[in-house]
Amino acid sequence: MNVLEVKNISKSFGSKKVLDGVSFSVPENCVFGFIGRNGAGKTTTMRAILGLLELDSGEIDVCGEKVTYGSTPQSGCIGYLPDVPEFYGYMNACEYLELCGSITGIDRAALKSRISEMLELVGLDKEKHRIGGYSRGMKQRLGIAQALINRPKLLICDEPTSALDPVGRKDILDIIGAAKEKTSVVFSTHILSDVERVCSKVALLEGGKIAFSGSIDSLREIKKGSALELTLTCPEDCEKVVSVFKQATVSEGMIVFQNATDKDCAELMSYLAAQMIPINRLERHEVDQEDLFMEVISK
Amino acid sequence: MRGFTAFIEKEFRELIRTKRMMILLIVFIAVGILNPATAKLTPKLLEMEADSLASMGMTVNEISITALDSWVQFAKNTPIVLIVTLIIFSGIYTSEYTKGTLIPLLTKGLSRSSVVLSKYVVMFVAWSIGIWLCFGITYFYGDFYWDNSVVKGVVFAGFCLWLFGVMMVSSIVFFSSIASSAGQVILGAGGLYFVMMIAGISKKVSEYLPTKLLAIGSLYTGELVPSDYKIPAIIAAIISVNFVIAAFPLTHKRQI
Repeated sequence: MNVLEVKNISKSFGSKKVLDGVSFSVPENCVFGFIGRNGAGKTTTMRAILGLLELDSGEIDVCGEKVTYGSTPQSGCIGYLPDVPEFYGYMNACEYLELCGSITGIDRAALKSRISEMLELVGLDKEKHRIGGYSRGMKQRLGIAQALINRPKLLICDEPTSALDPVGRKDILDIIGAAKEKTSVVFSTHILSDVERVCSKVALLEGGKIAFSGSIDSLREIKKGSALELTLTCPEDCEKVVSVFKQATVSEGMIVFQNATDKDCAELMSYLAAQMIPINRLERHEVDQEDLFMEVISK
Repeated sequence: MRGFTAFIEKEFRELIRTKRMMILLIVFIAVGILNPATAKLTPKLLEMEADSLASMGMTVNEISITALDSWVQFAKNTPIVLIVTLIIFSGIYTSEYTKGTLIPLLTKGLSRSSVVLSKYVVMFVAWSIGIWLCFGITYFYGDFYWDNSVVKGVVFAGFCLWLFGVMMVSSIVFFSSIASSAGQVILGAGGLYFVMMIAGISKKVSEYLPTKLLAIGSLYTGELVPSDYKIPAIIAAIISVNFVIAAFPLTHKRQI
């Protein structure tokens, strides 16, 4: 069963169309990566899922229940971590989680053990200070704890790692990875390496539309094609090589093979050896994240 | 309901921890003491200034001070206390909207109605406790130094001021549902008062306006009786209820 179904949603702010027929679905126990650059519409989509935003058209179902604007009928079903979580500075973490827990209706006795479990999970169990003095990373951790306190079926994280240092990022990703056992996670980001680390399914949002959607493997498939760069000792040989390998191009005295597979690489080397063409350099490098991003977007 | 109780608990905790409660209590108690103190000190001040007044051709005779002077001070000072209360509570809703502190709680199933209602209850309780505390202190000193029985309708006059305050607090609830900052809320509440003042220029209209509830001096002297305040009191109550009721659908529609 799908925990989340987004069907053809559209939203405009004034004349600007932010979402234009976005559809995707998230199955159970899946970490769903929602990729897009800043302003692509990720946060707008998430707010729509939470019922915090009125849609122009389309429908969203969470745990089989239709989402309506202005109310949160999916109580107990969704946990939400905003991009910059804000809490009441005069409370400490434990008091804040108590507030969240009692709103969702967890009874007092169970709540106590749940809170210490959550604080331990996010590493805030020894923190006794009030939230007002927390760093950004600590707020992000508390954000995860409050989002998971009611054991939701769907956890929505809006760019949870964007503002954190590498250690903080790793910790947050580990927590999200661990949460997968009990809940589905929708996790928006513009950092592709984060997606590769924890996600099993991805969708890429660009210009208000889904530019790519599929499993993490299919994303890797696109990434597989690596570029091959060849510099020959005698520049005159260039034409000879290019005439045989049609996909190669010559730029700045260098032969470049875009999206070269392993077979292409082997064929090239055997040709060079057979023809006794001397080379200075043969280099193979993976498509980097930006290239991949651009490639998916331009499709 | 569980959201409401949890949230109201948070509201009271906020009132105490952000020191707003302390500020309000200090102001209410200070004014409560100031009312009789001003009345008590007036003849002493005039005596001290007697020489300079004499040089201006004024002579100070024996002034007799009664509890009435203290209650007149109460009527004069209460609007100031109300303004302090309104300023303190002006950002109670809008700060949550702009900071985004409500979002995690709303997504947990807290209804927007609970938010509107619990904040209103907190303001209502704080204002009620404050004004009657101020009243009680003035009453105590009135009996201690003088005799309250010479003043008519003290409790009803206190009720009038309380009701006017309730109406202004309700206006905070209403304006908060459409405004985006504390400043705008205060502007709305101030605007409401200003409109009533302008409309009150006409003697006929002023008989019906809630602002009449502030003019309680004539109640103390017995020139007017409680029944003369019936219509403005009813109108103030109707406005209060409508302000709060209107805030619900407006807050539901609001983009948070």
